[in-house]
Amino acid sequence: MTLLEFARGPAFQASVLILIAGVAWRLVAIILLRRRPQFAEPRHGLPARIGGGAATILSRFVPRRTFWPRIAVSVVLSATFHIGLAIIVFGGAPHILLIHQLTGLTWPSLPRGVISLVSGVTLACMIALLIRRLNHPVLRLLSTADDYLSWLLVFLPVLTGILLSGETIGGYATLLALHIISVELMMIWLPFGKLMHAGLVFAGRGLMGMNFSRKGAAT
Amino acid sequence: MQNADDKGNANDDETLGAMLSARGIGRRGLLKFAIAMASSLALPPGVAPLMAANLAKAKRRSVIWLSFQECTGCVETLLRSSSPTIDQVIFDFISLDYQEALMAAAGTAAEKTLHDAIAANKGEYLLAIDGSIPTKDSGVYSLTGGRSNLAMLKEIAADAKAILAIGTCAAFGGIPKAFPNPTGAVGVEDLVSGKPIVNIPGCPPVPEVLSGVLAYFISFGKLPDLDERKRPLAYFGATIHDQCYRRAFYDQGKFAHSFDDEGARQGWCLFELGCKGPTTHNACASLKWNNGTSFPIQSGHGCIGCSEPDFWDAGGFYTSLAGGSAAGWRNAGIAAAVGIAGGAATALAARNKSRPDPEDKP
Amino acid sequence: MKNYNFLDDDQLVDALLVEIAGMLSRLIADGEEGAIDLLGLPLSPSCVAELERRLGRGEISVGLDAIGLSEIRETGFPGVWWTQHADGSGRVIARLIEATTIPAILRADVEDVKRGQKLLLASTHVACKTSRSAS
Repeated sequence: MTLLEFARGPAFQASVLILIAGVAWRLVAIILLRRRPQFAEPRHGLPARIGGGAATILSRFVPRRTFWPRIAVSVVLSATFHIGLAIIVFGGAPHILLIHQLTGLTWPSLPRGVISLVSGVTLACMIALLIRRLNHPVLRLLSTADDYLSWLLVFLPVLTGILLSGETIGGYATLLALHIISVELMMIWLPFGKLMHAGLVFAGRGLMGMNFSRKGAAT
Repeated sequence: MQNADDKGNANDDETLGAMLSARGIGRRGLLKFAIAMASSLALPPGVAPLMAANLAKAKRRSVIWLSFQECTGCVETLLRSSSPTIDQVIFDFISLDYQEALMAAAGTAAEKTLHDAIAANKGEYLLAIDGSIPTKDSGVYSLTGGRSNLAMLKEIAADAKAILAIGTCAAFGGIPKAFPNPTGAVGVEDLVSGKPIVNIPGCPPVPEVLSGVLAYFISFGKLPDLDERKRPLAYFGATIHDQCYRRAFYDQGKFAHSFDDEGARQGWCLFELGCKGPTTHNACASLKWNNGTSFPIQSGHGCIGCSEPDFWDAGGFYTSLAGGSAAGWRNAGIAAAVGIAGGAATALAARNKSRPDPEDKP
Repeated sequence: MKNYNFLDDDQLVDALLVEIAGMLSRLIADGEEGAIDLLGLPLSPSCVAELERRLGRGEISVGLDAIGLSEIRETGFPGVWWTQHADGSGRVIARLIEATTIPAILRADVEDVKRGQKLLLASTHVACKTSRSAS
């Protein structure tokens, strides 16, 4: 079995199943934890509390004005990177093709030139974010292997995707296999490390917002 | 005229030049053939006169052709020519001493022919193989005259000068090797070592590749440069994707989404319909089959990767290279259930652990 | 052979014409012949047509009938020959531009001449001692 066959075959199936099981596990394991009992009457009913949770998910996307000068760089870099990644994954023709094969859903793709440009910007943002993490004294202190591994496992798919799309170095089959395998490694790691913020950020903000709403605080 | 040359070959020592002359083809025809072969082999055109001179002097080369676990498609593709082509020159010249589909003799007469050919050309004959070789149960799944192809290969390869594995079955195991491979089929290179082997894969292979390899071998006395899969670089150095006439559509993002849709009718790229052109090495996008008539993509079907190992098991002809094998909704559901159950279990354990002791003061 | 066409037809043709001029220099200097295999280059049909048009036709055109038809003709530039070989089914198997005083394929080969001489004598009614051959 060649590397490509392995990547498109058993490795793909295994990594998708691990991702599904892992994400389900972590979300359920956190949501079902005990919470401190609240003896006060809720200020709002459940529907409003759910609305509050949703509101918090959205409101936290906008940085607070007081902090803006200090966090501007990281917010801009991070937002650009995240949006860029979303454009590549959901706007790139081969990715839509994969989703179509798995789910039957399809939508129009973006032109190759656009994806190319966005990929370059995304890659640059990722490198800038790494440099910032390595140079910023507090970040350097706080960063663990988890942080760097999570960065690497997202960086490799973007990098291999660019190389594959450009078809300038290496054989197509090898580059395709490496790209697919790098994504599979990311999928396997995702539930277990910092990458899980992809799901937890919504769960966390949502539950926090529901809690605030229960207390009548602003969301 | 002597009937035996210094190697003691039983056949004539007629040269290719003499053979062609006898048919009314002079040195000009041979030079034209050499020019065409040089171009096909991606050699500089200046080499053609040397090739022509060597070809003129060349003595008939004995070729023993063994057909093993095959469909005979490879033999058919080499024969199907309605009008004289340049390849016929070489195919007519090689002394095809044994080939079961083509020769008149059969049964024990055929076996004697094989035996005599091997004895007469020991160490000098080219061994051409098409079809894979079953190895399970001592190779009982493909026999010729009661002898397993496995045993025949081991014996006859021993005295060959070089081995040509014709077609993907002989080169890499091909279709018989596809899952679950009940006969234990393998390609020639898995069984023979210590002999120069050239793989000429394809299902079937492009005929011009074989004639090019033979012309090179007869002209220069050695095999052409091979890639890491022992395929001639001149023909297998580039992928279908690199030579495809529909490449511009790929680059522009114009894909056919289903067979016979508007894009398909416009001749757009077949990537989404499962074309394996980017991962397949062969010369068919430029040389095509049937005297340059067509090849799958030109006929509207994506490349199936027939010159690559295990192409039959490479995940489906109509699954694009961007896709993979789906685990299935059922398995996804099971994975989610396992995750939920596991998560609930760990949450429960955590909850029980942190339960406050009723004896503690608040 | 990548399909990148960063140059347009005119630029490719110009590049080839410069290379042909270079071959002619070597031909003039020390008689060194040269050839360009056009089938080995990723030229579009329009590019080949443009090249043929720019080279033009010269004084000589020769038809060759051997394992299919071929045409060897001098272009409008002396010493520059356009050669196209086809097989029995009409498929083009070689297309060359040669820089030479006369393409080798036009010359009669000595072996062919020898063979022809024997056949010539054999076809006459004169029994001749020189017709005795080694074969």
